[in-house]
Amino acid sequence: MYRYDEIDQSLVQERSAQFAEQVVRRLKHQLSEDEFKPLRLQNGLYLQRHAYMLRVAIPYGMLSSAQLRTLAKIAKYYDRGYGHFTTRQNIQFNWIDLEEAPLILEELAAVQMHAIQTSGNCIRNITSDPFAGVAADEYIDPRPICELLRQWSTLHPEFAFLPRKFKIAVNSAVEDRTVLLCHDVGIELKRSDQGVLLANIYAGGGMGRTPMLSELIKTDVPWQDLPAYLTALLRVYNRHGRRDNIYKARIKILVKALGVNEFAKQVEEEWAHTQTTYAAWTDADWQRVAQHFTKPPYKKLPALSQEQLIQELQPNERVGFVRWFERNVREHQVVGYSSVVLSLKPHGTQAPGDATAEQMNAIAELADRYSFGELRVTHEQNLVLADVESTQLVALWQEAKRLGLALSNIGLLTDIIACPGGDFCSLANAKSIPIAKAIQERFDHLDYLHDVGDVSINISGCINSCGHHHVGNIGILGVDKDGEEWFQVTLGGAQGHEAAIGKVIGRAFLAEEIPAVIDRLIKTYVNERYDGERFIQTVWRLGLEPFKQAAYAHDAKAEKEGVA
Amino acid sequence: MSGLIRFLRTQQPTLTQTDWQIWQPQDNEANVPAGKHIIPFQYWLTHRNNQQLLERAVAGEIGMWFAATDDVIDHKQLIHAGQKLWPMVAVHFPIFRDGRGYSTAALLRERLAWTGPVWAIGDVLIDQLDQLARVGFDHFVLRADQDRELGLRKFEQFSVRMQDSWRYPRTLNSIHQAEALTA
Ligand code: HEM
Ligand code: SF4
Repeated sequence: MYRYDEIDQSLVQERSAQFAEQVVRRLKHQLSEDEFKPLRLQNGLYLQRHAYMLRVAIPYGMLSSAQLRTLAKIAKYYDRGYGHFTTRQNIQFNWIDLEEAPLILEELAAVQMHAIQTSGNCIRNITSDPFAGVAADEYIDPRPICELLRQWSTLHPEFAFLPRKFKIAVNSAVEDRTVLLCHDVGIELKRSDQGVLLANIYAGGGMGRTPMLSELIKTDVPWQDLPAYLTALLRVYNRHGRRDNIYKARIKILVKALGVNEFAKQVEEEWAHTQTTYAAWTDADWQRVAQHFTKPPYKKLPALSQEQLIQELQPNERVGFVRWFERNVREHQVVGYSSVVLSLKPHGTQAPGDATAEQMNAIAELADRYSFGELRVTHEQNLVLADVESTQLVALWQEAKRLGLALSNIGLLTDIIACPGGDFCSLANAKSIPIAKAIQERFDHLDYLHDVGDVSINISGCINSCGHHHVGNIGILGVDKDGEEWFQVTLGGAQGHEAAIGKVIGRAFLAEEIPAVIDRLIKTYVNERYDGERFIQTVWRLGLEPFKQAAYAHDAKAEKEGVA
Repeated sequence: MSGLIRFLRTQQPTLTQTDWQIWQPQDNEANVPAGKHIIPFQYWLTHRNNQQLLERAVAGEIGMWFAATDDVIDHKQLIHAGQKLWPMVAVHFPIFRDGRGYSTAALLRERLAWTGPVWAIGDVLIDQLDQLARVGFDHFVLRADQDRELGLRKFEQFSVRMQDSWRYPRTLNSIHQAEALTA
């Protein structure tokens, strides 16, 4: 994992000192709230419904056990004992005092962390594949590039006041686990036949009010040229992106308005100039960074099958283990190792992505004992131990079970992505967390969940789409009708290479209707599916109609009003 | 005009005075008053054939300020010609969080090879000084209420930088630097 050199370390310390000074001026009213706001946002500090919220960056999702322990400490001493892992591989603390924020930044700097540009209209935290470096289907390890991009984007002077926020994701595996196409810029890394590391660039994706998938604007950019190319791209956006209307300010609107080809052409033109101005990354850059992402000291281990593993277990434990193995354990590049997803979605007891300080400390311990002291945060708001010896899986499972982290629901109906919604967020139209809980409570039967298989449910409390509801197979969006909380359902969304934006199925539902609606959608699928067909495939094959009918089937209110 | 910080590329930032004034015509027909004035580029576009204005420019009394919406690339030729005519140019920030001016300055330095002074004017606040200085600005007209002494110190908050910019190359660590030198 990347270790700061003296430059990185100076930067985060100087940044934390700079912010401390700004906070003092704010508290003395020498800075107005209006002027302070972008400064604090660029340090991840939101003013929320009840308190300040601090969003801490977890660049491309990599975390050491020491860092996680610091996060636990922050949760315990500066918050109310928990933190919230987000879809953008960050962690949020919801109950922060402004006066204490500089202290927290200092604590973070001490373990090579920061909150720089986790918010605000600038380049945000770079996200990537949580299985980077270990995934069996990977072309190359994207982390050196992610780290170089992190450095390049950190306090970039020209792009601190963009028209709108700017999100970059990097993928370099067969499967896309980054939701690449939903980003302002998606970078797809690969090797040419000659072994040269190249990047394909996608631009113009994003969720929010006007969801769009990005489009390919450039192929085969040599990795060394990424700073010059991205400077050109961001410069075109910075100059021509709309600033008159916050809802039209994302790059997706610019790309759409100009047309992909024209946008790509303008970037190309600018690139011709930035290439001569900005030094390309060099092999020395690569080595300086890549040395931190070499393989850990793997042992030579035999491959182990599931059958061999369950021999260690009592017969009554075997079903549970097998379920967990099927959903939460992933194939690894190295024989004898596995990657394990720890579920932060226990049924109905906490918000998706929440972890308590005690859990964080315990997970740090697991990382130390089972996975070289490292872990990752996933877009789905779970945690990953990437390098577990397969012989240890049973022991790990048993411990994770004790800690409430071993629910075998990864990718299943109850592995819900949800934004903090009305419980914390001042922009919310509706609460997200209770909906997630209600669904998890309704579908608490693991056999059934496993039989239903892969289904993604994404919940956002408002049109800002923090929960990415557009790309959930089932999306749930909080809407406000005359001061009441309603929930609109979309169907047909997907992430990955088959990314698609879901369609609204009809009038919105009340919160208490939602679990039954989901139930009827799922039953329709179970009745209609072909052998081996996933939920989303059935939806795409049949279209919305049968699902729509099912969703509103027992809709007494609609029947009465004649809109069923 | 007071509250001006001068920070040339090779020098230290200092507080200074200037006899330049920023001018915004009240109506389109107004003439530029006597003395050294920084005038809107749009005004120059429509009045540049005015003999009197041209003479004053030749006398070194006329500078340009670009609005956030002015596209300097569209006027490459004119700005090249201006190199010989205008002692300085400025970029206006209608509000401090409108970032277009940063790219304007970068383009002036990189693509238009502007070597003279580039001033930041308008809603210029001390917390943005460091970023402004890095993209190509070397004069800063602070908003009247800004603490100028504190502003001077705002250029020193970072000893390291992660990107190349007009003012500094990115910081390299010692091993890296040695390699870069031998490469
Ligand atoms: C309570 C604090 C939060 C606030 C105030 C907030 C605010 C916002 C806003 C204003 C947008 C709209 C962006 C746009 O117009 O394009 C947005 C989008 C988004 N937020 Fe949040 N958010 C919060 C929490 C979260 C959390 C907890 C997550 C992850 C679980 C998250 C992840 C996202 C994502 C992924 C988007 C979609 C933007 C895109 O990629 O197009 N946010 N948020
Ligand atoms: S989707 Fe809306 S309600 Fe949910 S966190 Fe984002 S801004 Fe808040």
